[in-house]
Amino acid sequence: MSMAEISSIVETTIPSRPWWVYFLRHRAATVSVIFIVVILITALLGPALYVRLSSSDLQQIRNGIYQNYDAINAPPSSDHWLGADYLGRDTLTRLLLAIRVSLLVALVVETINIVFGGVLGLIAGYFGGWVDMLISRLADMLFAFPGLLLAILVSAVFGSTARELYGGTGRLLLVASALSLVSWPLMARLIRSETLSLKSREFIIASQGLGASNVRVILKHMLPNVAWLIAVAATLDVVSVIVNEATLSLLGLGIEEPGASLGLMIFRAVGKLESHPIQVFVPALTITALVLAFSFLGDGLRDALDPRSRQSS
Amino acid sequence: MWRNISRRALSLVFVLFSVTFLTFIVSYFAPGDPVRNMMGGRQDPVRYEFLRHLYGLDLPWYQQYLTYIGHLIRGNLGYSFKYPERPVWDLIATGVPVSIELGLSALTLSLLVGVPAGVLSALWQNTWRDTSIMTVMLALYSVPSFVMIPFLWVIDLTLYRAGLPSLPVAGWGSPQQVILPVLVLAAANVGFIARLMRSSMLEVMRQDFVRAARAKGLPERLVIGRHVLRNALLPLLTVLGPATAFLVTGAFVVENLFAIPGIGYLSVQSIGQRDYPVIQATTILLALAVVSMNLITDIGYTIADPRVRTE
Repeated sequence: MSMAEISSIVETTIPSRPWWVYFLRHRAATVSVIFIVVILITALLGPALYVRLSSSDLQQIRNGIYQNYDAINAPPSSDHWLGADYLGRDTLTRLLLAIRVSLLVALVVETINIVFGGVLGLIAGYFGGWVDMLISRLADMLFAFPGLLLAILVSAVFGSTARELYGGTGRLLLVASALSLVSWPLMARLIRSETLSLKSREFIIASQGLGASNVRVILKHMLPNVAWLIAVAATLDVVSVIVNEATLSLLGLGIEEPGASLGLMIFRAVGKLESHPIQVFVPALTITALVLAFSFLGDGLRDALDPRSRQSS
Repeated sequence: MWRNISRRALSLVFVLFSVTFLTFIVSYFAPGDPVRNMMGGRQDPVRYEFLRHLYGLDLPWYQQYLTYIGHLIRGNLGYSFKYPERPVWDLIATGVPVSIELGLSALTLSLLVGVPAGVLSALWQNTWRDTSIMTVMLALYSVPSFVMIPFLWVIDLTLYRAGLPSLPVAGWGSPQQVILPVLVLAAANVGFIARLMRSSMLEVMRQDFVRAARAKGLPERLVIGRHVLRNALLPLLTVLGPATAFLVTGAFVVENLFAIPGIGYLSVQSIGQRDYPVIQATTILLALAVVSMNLITDIGYTIADPRVRTE
């Protein structure tokens, strides 16, 4: 076989294009990324901009806490762009604050999820034996609680303590940690099975044979090869975290007044659906858009990063 | 086959034990003194000690847990903190049939809609029909129930205002009151089942035996009905577990927004009242539902799929 033939084989079997080329082919995912970036910037800067750029007499009534008694349940106007809620608070400001809370909770949960679930999954898959047994059983234990049940239990029982000790921030952190309890076992399970299948591959055995330490094999060879899975799983998990945070707040177990949350906004407005439907639809459409955007992003990332799906396409 | 099933049943027992343990520990470390709460304004030290003893709260935690487990095995769920005269079982017994009716109707509906949608989508693969079915299914799957409910209510309200037949928006009892909550509860599962069904159909349609069936001249109707469908329906068994989990989470929102007196409503109520015996009982009950669905899946698979049986 000539050198040219060999290189042509190599070229066809190894994908030469970077992953984002595949990602950009996924149109919904590309649009979603743009949408998410815009939402992120709006959530970070929006409240400040909206209030600062208002004329001085509007600054106060738009701060999201101030109750403008003249504008209780007001429809959209030049004073309140999306109207005001049952207490006369500006809906747009509340919405931006709620998106911020939503994304903040997602960020905290995914950080815990990646660090905790990822590390435990790698350790369980790589070492096997009793370590694997212990971690897998722990994950099974948490898996037994259907859906949100454990998060509901934990945030309900410790909710008032968190509020007394650390106020709104405490409550937010409690919700986030309760939701991570539901999230990390899935991450650990996914990473574990991927690590298990990598463990018997030649490059790992070769590295071990050359005398690399376990830490080196895990960090240098395992981690880069499961990183894509961690990224995809975490992105798709954001979808359920956003919905779950809203559900907890809707049931009165999550973010509390005067904090803002999409679930809480829906809960407060749902009784006045007949007379003021816009107060429900604004947060409802926002959460739907967020959820769809993160699902598309996750799908796109999977198609672009998963080596198996790339070979088949 | 029996070894396989008994091993699964054993792991079910382990899982249930861990659920009771975790629920117990969380409630044990809960802040506040339930007996003091129960006594309200009339704090009497003698009565306090008596009540603590009655609920077994004066024992160390492991004894409390063992007593709890002992009672649980005999079907005794203890007494409610909120309504001291009523056993927890009484409170739950009214909610269970309601939730089961709601859940089973939703599951049936989602199978009746989801399976045909997935099958048709697979048969029309990569046409505009396939794309539109799958888009609708993605929407059903990902739009949260608390977003869907207000939208349905508004549609219902418009019908009512226009003098057209409309549905009651809340409550439980009449057949009309069942429709809206079941629709919402079924939505996520419809999307989930349709997507699974589509990929399972496509997987089977690629197999050699399907090509062989076509090659020997079997009409397409029979190829699909006799060979593809029967094999593609098998993975549907795995849906039971996750679908029940969906239903449980959905029940919390749906029962509370529609004011339906089921288990989800009862749990949220008892959480608000810090009624720990009731919270523990509902949690264990819901976990039991999901875990036993998983066991049914495993047994069903063992019976239906020869490949699993021989392993």
